[in-house]
Amino acid sequence: MTLLQKSPGAVRSKTGFWPNNRATIIGVSILTLVVIILPFTATSTMMNIAVFSMIFALPAIGLSLLMGLAGQVSLGQAAFFAIGAYTHAILLQKFEMPGVVAAVGGVVAAMLAALLVGLPMLRLRGHYLALATLGLGFIVMIAVREWEFTGRTTGIYGFGRPEVFGIPIDNNGLFFWYVAPFVIVGLVLALNLTRSRAGRALSSVNDSELAAESLGVNTYALRVKVFTLSAGLAGLGGVFYAYQVQIVSPQMAEFNVSVELLLMVVLGGLGSVWGAIAGAFIVELLSEGLRDLIPAIIPGATGEVQLIGYGLVLILVILLLPGGLYQAVRTVWAAIRRRTAARRVAAAALVPDGTADAGAGDAPTRAFGGVPGEPAAPHGAAAVDEEGVPNVPGVSTPLAEGEAILEVRGLTKRYGGVVAVDDVSFTVPAGRIMGLIGPNGAGKTTCFNMITGAITPTSGTVTFLGEEVQGRKPHVGAVRGLTRTFQNLQVFSSTDVVGNVYMGRYREGRAGIIRGMLGLQGREQYRNEEIARDLLDTMRLGDVAELAAGDLPFGRQRMMEVCRALASEPALLLLDEPMAGLSGKEREMLASLLRALRDAGLTIVLVEHDVAQVLALADTVAVLDDGVLIAYGEPEAVRNDPAVIVAYLGTDADEAKHELEELEEHA
Amino acid sequence: MTDFLQLTAAGLSQGSVYALLAVGLIATYTVRHVVNIAQGDYAMLAGLGSISLVSAGLPLPVAILIALISVTLASVLIERLVIARVKNLTTLVSIILTLGVSTLLQSIMLLVWGAEARRLPAFPGEDLLIGGVSIRSQELWMLGALVVVGGGVLLFYEKTRWGKALRASAEQPVAARIVGISPAVASVIAFAIAGFVGAVAGVVSSPIYLSIWSGGLLLGLKGFVAAVLGGLVSFRAAIVGALLLGVLESYVAGYVASGWKDAVAFFILIIVLIIRPAGLVLRPNAVRV
Repeated sequence: MTLLQKSPGAVRSKTGFWPNNRATIIGVSILTLVVIILPFTATSTMMNIAVFSMIFALPAIGLSLLMGLAGQVSLGQAAFFAIGAYTHAILLQKFEMPGVVAAVGGVVAAMLAALLVGLPMLRLRGHYLALATLGLGFIVMIAVREWEFTGRTTGIYGFGRPEVFGIPIDNNGLFFWYVAPFVIVGLVLALNLTRSRAGRALSSVNDSELAAESLGVNTYALRVKVFTLSAGLAGLGGVFYAYQVQIVSPQMAEFNVSVELLLMVVLGGLGSVWGAIAGAFIVELLSEGLRDLIPAIIPGATGEVQLIGYGLVLILVILLLPGGLYQAVRTVWAAIRRRTAARRVAAAALVPDGTADAGAGDAPTRAFGGVPGEPAAPHGAAAVDEEGVPNVPGVSTPLAEGEAILEVRGLTKRYGGVVAVDDVSFTVPAGRIMGLIGPNGAGKTTCFNMITGAITPTSGTVTFLGEEVQGRKPHVGAVRGLTRTFQNLQVFSSTDVVGNVYMGRYREGRAGIIRGMLGLQGREQYRNEEIARDLLDTMRLGDVAELAAGDLPFGRQRMMEVCRALASEPALLLLDEPMAGLSGKEREMLASLLRALRDAGLTIVLVEHDVAQVLALADTVAVLDDGVLIAYGEPEAVRNDPAVIVAYLGTDADEAKHELEELEEHA
Repeated sequence: MTDFLQLTAAGLSQGSVYALLAVGLIATYTVRHVVNIAQGDYAMLAGLGSISLVSAGLPLPVAILIALISVTLASVLIERLVIARVKNLTTLVSIILTLGVSTLLQSIMLLVWGAEARRLPAFPGEDLLIGGVSIRSQELWMLGALVVVGGGVLLFYEKTRWGKALRASAEQPVAARIVGISPAVASVIAFAIAGFVGAVAGVVSSPIYLSIWSGGLLLGLKGFVAAVLGGLVSFRAAIVGALLLGVLESYVAGYVASGWKDAVAFFILIIVLIIRPAGLVLRPNAVRV
């Protein structure tokens, strides 16, 4: 049955799924060591650059998270930087608050400003956040320049450097040690976040927003949180900046500071946290170098001459090395590893590999879902089932068989003058399979999309488990147990197969951004990963768990989507043309899987083109024609309904009947 | 009352500059789905360029003509050398790229022309005095430029076969190709138009509002705000929005404080997007499912 056999055997290696923790520990240790040693060895110019790169690394990490996770960019990161600095300076200078309180105030102020901009802007996709933040940069600059309270063009000055344990932080070396722990902690938190439940959800959103939302991901809320977090880091950077230069002035919010921060992230590698720190150092070096170099080449050049380098490097990196330094390092590293691995294989050719077949025997026997009392699916059988039918994972249903799980009332969708779906009403009983069929353009998919929340109905209600979900985003229904698959596959291509199915577990997870950053969700994540792997084994996809999802053949991608949807333990599973593009054998397999799932208690609605399949599979069938529900009932009744025959196969009822019978024989 | 009318007149002429920039932004956005952050820099480049040519002894019309052509070519060059090189031009990448272009253009202007603002000599003409409201001839030139150039682009996109094909090329590349426009050609034309319109805005406004290396960004942002009012697709709504923005700014400068003038655009952007976000989402993000 397998097209892609992974050799040797299905070893459960964690390295593909979780980023390498050991590498992180080594990296952080090296960084810490460098930070400790640097002040003893560096020249004063170098030390100055180092301090500023540490300060700018904080907003850069924030921007990197925003770009990598939320897929959005802030062109006004300097505005948050300045807001943090100004608030801090004002609290210190005018209100004589203790340093810690002032610093926290600075960070909070930056986060509040981000909420103010982010709440409206992040609802919209596209360029809005970028240009709004660009505008915010101007606003902040104008505001502090025009306001007496913020000292107008002179800014605020005259506050001292902080003291730590009675030691005044009065030179660059000490200041470097003062900032560095914050950067290192920020780095670790940010790395944790990218791997957390929230981080993985956000990168899935970048692959397919609709699929992620159909699994319960509240995209908007997560984006707002990441944006606020990113502004908080910028604010923290601003606080340190204020201490270092001991004056805050309107120039801090200037556009070239934002460009500088953006360049750090782009150069380091979009979305790479390590890259942001490396980028901060390189850009600070570049800036210093250009400021010396350009006036030497072009006499009389003054002002922000380093911008020419910024512009050039930005363009060149995007054109030539879109992944930045991170990508470059990874490519080189992979080449080195390939070479050493090849050498090792050659050396070990005669020694049998003891770990190769450990996987199958070690497979956990816990039931899918891990809910006590749920029937356990037999796992050992997965590999030896002769009929090629996957084993059925356990399903839970909140209702008794036959009770209404989904009610559609008067559902209507108009596009301008065209009525795509007209006043459609039906009820889906729990524990049954309902088929939604109809000729091309009958409004099946529109209807389906209105039920799942992908589009908003013009009128009518969709009630799922007693709650109206029409017009809400897909995640609203999804968190209540309504999930779907897609006719045009929506695979999370940036992760592997198990990563896709793991995302199906999103609904079952609880860890938010803060727990994610603190790394306090390991147990939950490992449990969900195990469940995802068990499910893959059950569905006979265990052998491809580590492959990139986009590399699977079409039929197995479809099975993976079904698997991903099942992983969320839905009460109602909606399948959009699940048979399309599958081979005959795959269709049979899917049909028996669906039957088995139904028998286990799952409610299924499928939109399907293949009439014969639906009539053979479904317990109830709804037929749409031209947006109108023309028949609804048991397959036998629908099959003989004259209206259906006419709608489907033209006006000649006899011929139609004949063709239907033929179709049936094929089924 | 006279003050009010005076401010309105000044606002309209300033708004016509924003309108031209908005027209340029929409010209590229409809074809390429790129919001060109460097749009305002075209204006500054044309202004500074024509100032240099005039001080080199060229007559004003010749200097302006050369500046317009050069900036148009520069825009095409940017399209060919930068924008067209990226295969998968996502929103994020397009923002970073055009920001890079904008930064590069700004720094070149800084190195060539220095940090000070410069002024192009005023265009010929008599100032008007109507009911106590004085209107400078240059302001009439600015409004005239909007009518002729902005109106011309609008008619081109909406009425001519080529213009329609250009718009179509973003949605229906195949259909546009059948009409005879390849996506590459469409993109070049759109950037040429954007460059030209931006340059016109730069030269007509320079005698009053000056040209400076760093001025383009804010100007472009205001053009963007106007374009958002037009949903990033409607030239007409954007032009009306730009004139309103100019007038509003003028009132703020006149009645509040001139320093706050530049903040108006941003507040409008936020307020509009809060009140009517749905009306501004242009293309229903049709993910086919």
